[in-house]
Amino acid sequence: MRVPAARLRDVAKRFGRVVALDGVRFDLAQGEVHGLLGENGAGKTTLARVMAGLVSAEGGSMKIGGRAVAFGNAAASRSSGVSMVHQHFSLVPRFTGFENVALFNRDAWSRRGGATAGYRERVEARARELGLDVGLDAPCREMSVGEQQRVEILKALMGETRVLLLDEPTAVLAPQEVEGLFAVLRGLVRSGTGIVLVAHKLDEVLAVADRVTVLRKGKRVLTTDATATSARRLAEAMVGSAFRPDRLADKMYSDFGKMSSGRHDPVVQSGVEASRVVASLTDVTVSSRNLARLRGVSLEVRRGEVVGIAGVEGNGQRELAAVLAGALRPDSGTVNLPDVVGWIPQDRTEEGLVGRFSLAENVAFALHDDPACRTGPWLDWRAIEHRTAALLDEMDVRAEGPRQPAVELSGGNRQKLLAGREFLRSGDLLVAESPTRGLDVKASQAVRSRLARTAGADTLGRPGKPPPGIVLISPDLDEILELADRIAVMVRGRLVPLPPQRRSAAAIGEIMLGTGGTGP
Amino acid sequence: MTVRWGAALRPAGQAAAALVATLAVAAALLAIGGHSPVEAFSALVRGAFGSWNRFASFTLVQATPLLLTGLAVAIAFKAGVWNIGAEGQLYAGALAGVAVAVSFPGAAGASGLWLLPVALLAAAAAGALWAAVPAAMKTRLGVGEVITTLLMNFVALFLAQYLVQGPLQEARGVFNQTDEIPAAAALPSLLPGSRLHAGFLLGVVLAGAAWLYMTRTPGGFRMRAVGASTRAAEASGRFAAQPVTWLAFLVSGALAGLAGWVQVAGVTGRMYEGLSPGWGYTAIAVALLARLNPAAVVPAAVVFGALSAGGGAMQRDAGVPEAWVRGTEALLILAVLAVDRGLEAARRRRG
Repeated sequence: MRVPAARLRDVAKRFGRVVALDGVRFDLAQGEVHGLLGENGAGKTTLARVMAGLVSAEGGSMKIGGRAVAFGNAAASRSSGVSMVHQHFSLVPRFTGFENVALFNRDAWSRRGGATAGYRERVEARARELGLDVGLDAPCREMSVGEQQRVEILKALMGETRVLLLDEPTAVLAPQEVEGLFAVLRGLVRSGTGIVLVAHKLDEVLAVADRVTVLRKGKRVLTTDATATSARRLAEAMVGSAFRPDRLADKMYSDFGKMSSGRHDPVVQSGVEASRVVASLTDVTVSSRNLARLRGVSLEVRRGEVVGIAGVEGNGQRELAAVLAGALRPDSGTVNLPDVVGWIPQDRTEEGLVGRFSLAENVAFALHDDPACRTGPWLDWRAIEHRTAALLDEMDVRAEGPRQPAVELSGGNRQKLLAGREFLRSGDLLVAESPTRGLDVKASQAVRSRLARTAGADTLGRPGKPPPGIVLISPDLDEILELADRIAVMVRGRLVPLPPQRRSAAAIGEIMLGTGGTGP
Repeated sequence: MTVRWGAALRPAGQAAAALVATLAVAAALLAIGGHSPVEAFSALVRGAFGSWNRFASFTLVQATPLLLTGLAVAIAFKAGVWNIGAEGQLYAGALAGVAVAVSFPGAAGASGLWLLPVALLAAAAAGALWAAVPAAMKTRLGVGEVITTLLMNFVALFLAQYLVQGPLQEARGVFNQTDEIPAAAALPSLLPGSRLHAGFLLGVVLAGAAWLYMTRTPGGFRMRAVGASTRAAEASGRFAAQPVTWLAFLVSGALAGLAGWVQVAGVTGRMYEGLSPGWGYTAIAVALLARLNPAAVVPAAVVFGALSAGGGAMQRDAGVPEAWVRGTEALLILAVLAVDRGLEAARRRRG
């Protein structure tokens, strides 16, 4: 047998009181795609970061390509051929695709500081070889998320790569882009690279992985050939023995592969009174840097309904969300918004939560103006902490308590906290941008059922108030079809309504592709 | 928030660690320089804490301008405003306070009680005005305040030079200084028989108020939020960051302006060119040692005040040059930063 690409034994890691990895053993063969599965906080990302040398383990050993590599030494990991593509990209927004690739790769620079002759050609050749469609001359800040990811992958693969770590790579992609990514991965493994694919979506992992390892609460519970298992068995392994098949489980299994047909019946619109409209946009236009981001968008949101906005990312969804949240003033058109809007922004690390603030302080973003959280001129931190504790409970956020800094939470738990905060805040309108992006099956389901219930009637901490209208912006068609009462598709800054009688993924896809292309 | 002693004491422990490390290095430097560290340190301690009067008249008096400017810097930094201009704002405040005070030479007794508060207000307003220029340039034009606040310091220094040689020069016209301020404008003594004046008490009260504001009010929360992340403040907090930034500039400038006038009204009685030995810059070290916590600025300012007071005694009694004290102050800043960053790096390695 050939030397394994990576071989980890008894890896142990704690974060404070939380055990992230508990004696994990992991083997990655050359030329295989190895799916790494688990719920939020199971230790998947931590294990990948240990391999990349970004996190130091407290016990165990690691060999890359047969040679022992010390823990916690990113340079050593990198020089032994480990590259990682993170869930949150690390690109310089102002730099072009080429500059970002060159920045990360030392051999792009000559000893005297200039660019290496012919490096550009090498990058282009590599991109062609990998089948990566990358705009090398556009600044990364103007790229769609999918395009940025391709820059990240190209960047990671310019050097000699034995081990490629991909953290939730499909979470940000539209269905067509996922297929493209998988094609790239299949090409890569033929050249002998071992790929670790950290993921939530079981069907996707099964579609591309050769082997699968499941982690639960920091322990490896299963490693198996992908052909020898099923989504059901993997789901059971992920959730553990405490897991009992109930409605949630049925939902999980039935999700795989097939599109659900929509839980709600479309709202009968003729009977809707004007007073139920909570927000409206008329002919709204937004441009930035001479690019039209929104072109004449009109939209009405009514109380108690979920309006689903589908579309490939980068077609104006972020601008639409910002306008609806009142954070962006359009260049033209009229906007009518309620006073309080809940907003789950797409960019959660920058806009959503402050890492060094405690969980209670993060929740206070929504509550600091709430009279119930004041005593005279003073903020009532005890009340805010109580509400936060209730929120942690309700959203099943795994945390020590309201005073823990947000930065210590795993990505999925941070997101649940953020979603919960915005549910708490939403008065008459809630804007949710990809609210389940990066969440595991169970957490996604929790957030989705919260959305459905919020639109239905009862709402956390605000009994007796009428339900808000919800705008759900997501590239995940399953999610849109499951939750939305009405659906529209964003295509190059325009909002195209989907006729209720043509409610299907195929019809949405046609609209998305009919005007064609990805990104603006 | 209810007090968590463990978490509340950790920064204090870190500051203490930085202080101890600094003194160890400083002792080594003394030894290399041929001085006895024991002798020098005992002179320093005697100079700073030798007696109640020594402590009040030297250490606390030296700490007062550092307390007010340190507070100015701590609040600004906490709100993400990198105000390096406390020195200039201090001069602006001193000039405005003196200008008001010397305009009413006859003010005395009960009928002159209004003069001190008016001069204090004038000083605060002038400091705020000095900070308003960089504030406008930052919020309207996007010019970084590190440069603008720093450059405004030189403008203030030259303005002070001009004024004390020209329009505000003493009536005798001999020295480059203003007339003595009238008795009604002077700050009262805090401890009879010592030089300690009410300015120190004012600083402590303002530090307490600033701490309450920052930790317990919605406005203070907004300031900390903007300081932590403007984008998070606007996206998650749904409030505009700009007014908050403005407020931070103005409050910071006002506090630094007060420091200047308090020094004149409490100690010198006159305004002259070299009023401040760089308090506005040392203030940055004070604020960092206090970890930008307004309440902790009080002890941090006393530490620097003690260094300054004890340094004089050390020079006199142990023959250690003044430069050593300056060097120790700089070392302390480095140690605070090193402890900070070192802990952060350790945390990151762990998690």
